[in-house]
Amino acid sequence: MADTPVDALLKGNTGRNTRGLLRIIILTTIAAAAVSSRLFSVIRFESIIHEFDPWFNFRATKYLVQNGFESFWDWFDDRTWHPLGRVTGGTLYPGLMVTSGVIYHILRFLTIPVDIRNICVLLAPACSGLTAFAMYLLTCEMSFSPSAGLLAAAFMGITPGYISRSVAGSYDNEAIAIFLLVFTFFLWIKAVKNGSIMWGALTALFYGYMVSAWGGYVFITNLIPLHVFVLLCMGRYSTRLYISYTTWYALGTLASMQIPFVGFLPIRNSDHMAALGVFGLIQLVAFAEFVRSFIPGKQFQRLLTAMVIVVFGIAFVGLVVLTVSGVIAPWSGRFYSLWDTGYAKIHIPIIASVSEHQPTAWPAFFFDLNLLIWLFPAGVYMCFRDLKDEHVFVIIYAVLASYFAGVMVRLMLTLTPIVCVAAALALSSILDTYVFASRGPNPKIKASEDASTEALRSTRNPDVGISSYISKAVVTSSVVIYLLMFVAHCTWVTSNAYSSPSVVLASRMPDGSQFIIDDYREAYYWLRQNTPDNAKIMSWWDYGYQIGGMADRPTLVDNNTWNNTHIATVGKAMSSREEVSYPILRQHDVDYVLVVFGGLLGYSGDDINKFLWMVRIAEGIWPDEVKERDYFTARGEYRVDDEATPAMRNSLMYKMSYHNFNSLFQMGQAVDRVRGSRLPAEGPQLSTLEEAFTSENWIIRIYKVKDLDNLGRDHSNAAAFERGHKRKRATKRRGPRVLRTE
Amino acid sequence: MKPFTAFAAVCSFFLSTSTVVCAESSFKPPQTFKNANLVRNTNLEKGYVRETVNIVVENVDKEPQSTYYLSFPSDVFDKVGGLEVRDRKAPENGPFAVDVVSAESTSDVHYVAVDLPQPLAPKSQITLGISYYLLNSLTPRPAAINQADKQYLAYSFSAYLHSAYPTVTQKTRLKLPSTNVPDYTTTNGLKSGADPERQGTTYTYGPYDTAEVAPGTTYPITLRYEFTKPVITASLLERDLEVSHWGGNLATEERYWLRNNGSNLVNQFSRVEWTLTNFQQLPSSAIRELKYPLKPGAVDPYFIDDIGNVSTSRYRPGRSPKREGSLELKPRFPVFGGWNYSFRIGWNDNLSNFLRRVAGADTYVLKVPFLEGPKVPEGVQYEKVVVRVVLPEGARNVRYETIHGASNNGLPPVDQIQSHVSPHKTFMDTLGRTALTLTAENLSDEARDAQLVITYEYSFWDGMRKPITITAGLLTVFAAAWAIGNIDVSIKKR
Repeated sequence: MADTPVDALLKGNTGRNTRGLLRIIILTTIAAAAVSSRLFSVIRFESIIHEFDPWFNFRATKYLVQNGFESFWDWFDDRTWHPLGRVTGGTLYPGLMVTSGVIYHILRFLTIPVDIRNICVLLAPACSGLTAFAMYLLTCEMSFSPSAGLLAAAFMGITPGYISRSVAGSYDNEAIAIFLLVFTFFLWIKAVKNGSIMWGALTALFYGYMVSAWGGYVFITNLIPLHVFVLLCMGRYSTRLYISYTTWYALGTLASMQIPFVGFLPIRNSDHMAALGVFGLIQLVAFAEFVRSFIPGKQFQRLLTAMVIVVFGIAFVGLVVLTVSGVIAPWSGRFYSLWDTGYAKIHIPIIASVSEHQPTAWPAFFFDLNLLIWLFPAGVYMCFRDLKDEHVFVIIYAVLASYFAGVMVRLMLTLTPIVCVAAALALSSILDTYVFASRGPNPKIKASEDASTEALRSTRNPDVGISSYISKAVVTSSVVIYLLMFVAHCTWVTSNAYSSPSVVLASRMPDGSQFIIDDYREAYYWLRQNTPDNAKIMSWWDYGYQIGGMADRPTLVDNNTWNNTHIATVGKAMSSREEVSYPILRQHDVDYVLVVFGGLLGYSGDDINKFLWMVRIAEGIWPDEVKERDYFTARGEYRVDDEATPAMRNSLMYKMSYHNFNSLFQMGQAVDRVRGSRLPAEGPQLSTLEEAFTSENWIIRIYKVKDLDNLGRDHSNAAAFERGHKRKRATKRRGPRVLRTE
Repeated sequence: MKPFTAFAAVCSFFLSTSTVVCAESSFKPPQTFKNANLVRNTNLEKGYVRETVNIVVENVDKEPQSTYYLSFPSDVFDKVGGLEVRDRKAPENGPFAVDVVSAESTSDVHYVAVDLPQPLAPKSQITLGISYYLLNSLTPRPAAINQADKQYLAYSFSAYLHSAYPTVTQKTRLKLPSTNVPDYTTTNGLKSGADPERQGTTYTYGPYDTAEVAPGTTYPITLRYEFTKPVITASLLERDLEVSHWGGNLATEERYWLRNNGSNLVNQFSRVEWTLTNFQQLPSSAIRELKYPLKPGAVDPYFIDDIGNVSTSRYRPGRSPKREGSLELKPRFPVFGGWNYSFRIGWNDNLSNFLRRVAGADTYVLKVPFLEGPKVPEGVQYEKVVVRVVLPEGARNVRYETIHGASNNGLPPVDQIQSHVSPHKTFMDTLGRTALTLTAENLSDEARDAQLVITYEYSFWDGMRKPITITAGLLTVFAAAWAIGNIDVSIKKR
């Protein structure tokens, strides 16, 4: 066959270069697609930080950029958790902020004036490009097929399971952590394959970076030891394994202990004990291997058995003793909730109250992963076929991550990388079989060749592969259709489900144009502009970070949720009668109270819908004063209308939500559009608070806490007097005003 | 070529007159003049006071005199902005040079020396047209009102204008925004007949025969009138104009710190009431919307504040090339009396509409507005304005002038505008761009049409500096990468 120009490009040395160049171009395109598919919210809205936690990260980054690393490390924040404050520098994972800070300073050094906000907004998409590349590297270690790596990179780039946490503006730890996770695993596989100290040390380095960036590092801390343990159990001990694991463990643990928030956890916390145990085990195994080379087999067998029993016994007793005596911290609550999904709801309502900690619904898997979820088992099966060390890793990862993803919605994120790897393995093998196996010789030419060479039939390569063009065409085209549908699905999900900043809400006008509901920022900016700089704002903890970031005012509680009692105090103030709440507000120097109310617009994420969690959390601390049962009617319904219970109608939250709401409607026509219920004709009366600001669509309502009464009356009396007084005064006409002259 | 003639005229004008008058604290102007007749027009239609004083001045000395002194009580003087004195008979000749007589800040009276271009011969007369505006001199009375109430402002002044010289007759004509004037001072004994005389929204105090009244005598008068509009005050406006020769672009960004100086709210803000007010389109003392006209051809406008884009704005571009675009800015919340709102806006313009090159030289002339700002009927007062013009990297010999037309341009005299030139490093600059910063105090939206002319030298090689630098930098990086890549660091035996 004559060489076509294309063949010249695809064969030999030039071919290698061409393929390398093509690979680079494809990877760049994938990275570009990954970045651009995350920009929906920037294009549709603006470059803005999303949701809740990112606002804290953004604020911390600004602090870092303004005050330098030293003072960031020692940052004590007295504008949150009033009056307690928060040792912010020691209780956060600084990796994310430091990364943005470094990027910012590099750009400043090149005198490119990029706003820190834009760096923060675009960090997650930029990292997703890198994740796609890391995914390529990881998958290439698993398969000889070059298409597997590229497919995995493309999947990782656009799969909604990952996009959900990395759209532009979602400036959270996961933004950078997933890249580090995948890259650390790549380095680990590389280290295990080569048995090289360099790769082991690099793994430790990136593991250290990962520890600094996300609490999910525990996943790596347990997965790598598990991998090693399983390999040991399979009798696959090798010096490569020993070198890479010990290098990683020693350096990685030291690196992780440099983060103040982690500190001595790696040697004291149960979560990290597996790594330590496997470290000990691999020493023993190495020692046994060493001894075996000197001692005959029979004696060795006995020695080994005895040693294993003794060591295991000592280690177990030691672990129990240390745990009981408190040197090793017991499993943390969040960890328990991983095993028992009902645990959190009973013991730690504050964890259960977060929607992303709920168990995953089954459709979510298909929603987030689409065709990958059914390619995933196939890919895992293929790993069993040639079970090398790295394939064992894939299998363990797949099993563990599938379980965790089923328990908690947000752990879908850790499942996504391995799904991409497995699906890419499966799909690439289909493609390789159906597209490339056709290179098999043409039967006619083959027959003539047979005759001429006269080789034995058995020495010839058997005719494997699909030679029928129809079957090739059918399979290939159906795969292509699946992939196209996958792209369409990913784009649709990203655009519709994951690209809302949640600070800005969008709806459609009757004529189809976009109508932006910007109540959050309206109210936060009002607070920022028109209240004293140190006015304390009380709100439910969901809004703490946003108030800190946008309104720049001290808050009582925020999304850090480190002090359950303080949150319960706020919950009690919200759920109690005014007479009980007012002293709490006074004791905590509260100037303004902020509530979110969706009743006018039908915005369901409002405080009345979250109210039961406030009651539950308060009940956890004050079971005698706040009772969840009191907020349900006799028939067990949660109502806000005429039949609402007295506890409900007298609670501060209810009063603040519906204060003055009646006056918008005709008499008795007030309707709450979220709960779909008609409200009582007589609206609630507030006496200790006064309405200070209500946003355009009533989503945010801000109340000012009244000062003590001048005449020493209590507020309800004063308010009653005021109301009576006003009615009398209304009949009196005011005379003309007289100018005061000096 | 029109700007050039104007510019040249201004240049020659300012070269001829610039003297600083220094005087000790107890300065008293020589009694060389007499105010034969004085008419003061006070316009209260906006949220600040505009005054035009026409004085027929007569030289009562034996020698020709060329320096007339204006006097202001010190509490008024701090609020005066845009002071300008012209010959009333020939306003097109441009304003006279004025110099503040530097005196101790504690003294009661401040003097401003007006240099008449031709000395006034003895016994002869000249009519001076003095125009200025007073910031922050209207006080809301009552100081706190209900949200939907009418707002009233009070203005206090003296029936006798403060002057360094005896005045024969004087009167004050006030133009009010409405006929609703619940309180005003009626004088007695100053003149025969009713005082003031009312005619529609115009109130006239005087004329008074004050030949015998000593200069500096005051007779307090207060008016309280309805002004149910916001009193918009910008405590600071920072305005950046960035010139890019490569991009052919003039980028403008303005940062406002706004405040409503009207009556505060008695109670807290009520959304229900505000919805009702808005629905019925009632006038309100709150800032609802600011209309900001943009020059024809302005593109890419934005309206943001500290926490991001303000989604309530709208931009109507000027359709035909000569029509102005309109940027409708709606603050996130209605700004009531005592409330603040800070924001920034910006847009781009085609540089060729603003920049000319002097033929045959590396000199460029840039003509830009000194102040733009929203155009609202109630007016805007600016306590401090900082204009920064960022010229291209390497621009030298920067000079600036303000242009005077046939009427007051609303800007303070040039010597009261502080200026300095400093480097501004951005976008991969090596030397830093030349930034001219001008600071002026007490301005109002009267100065909207004032033009600023800047000349600077900028050669071809200045323009090539950045491409050369970047090329050299990239080449260095490539060379370094190549050199490092060629180093063999392996530890295996060779």
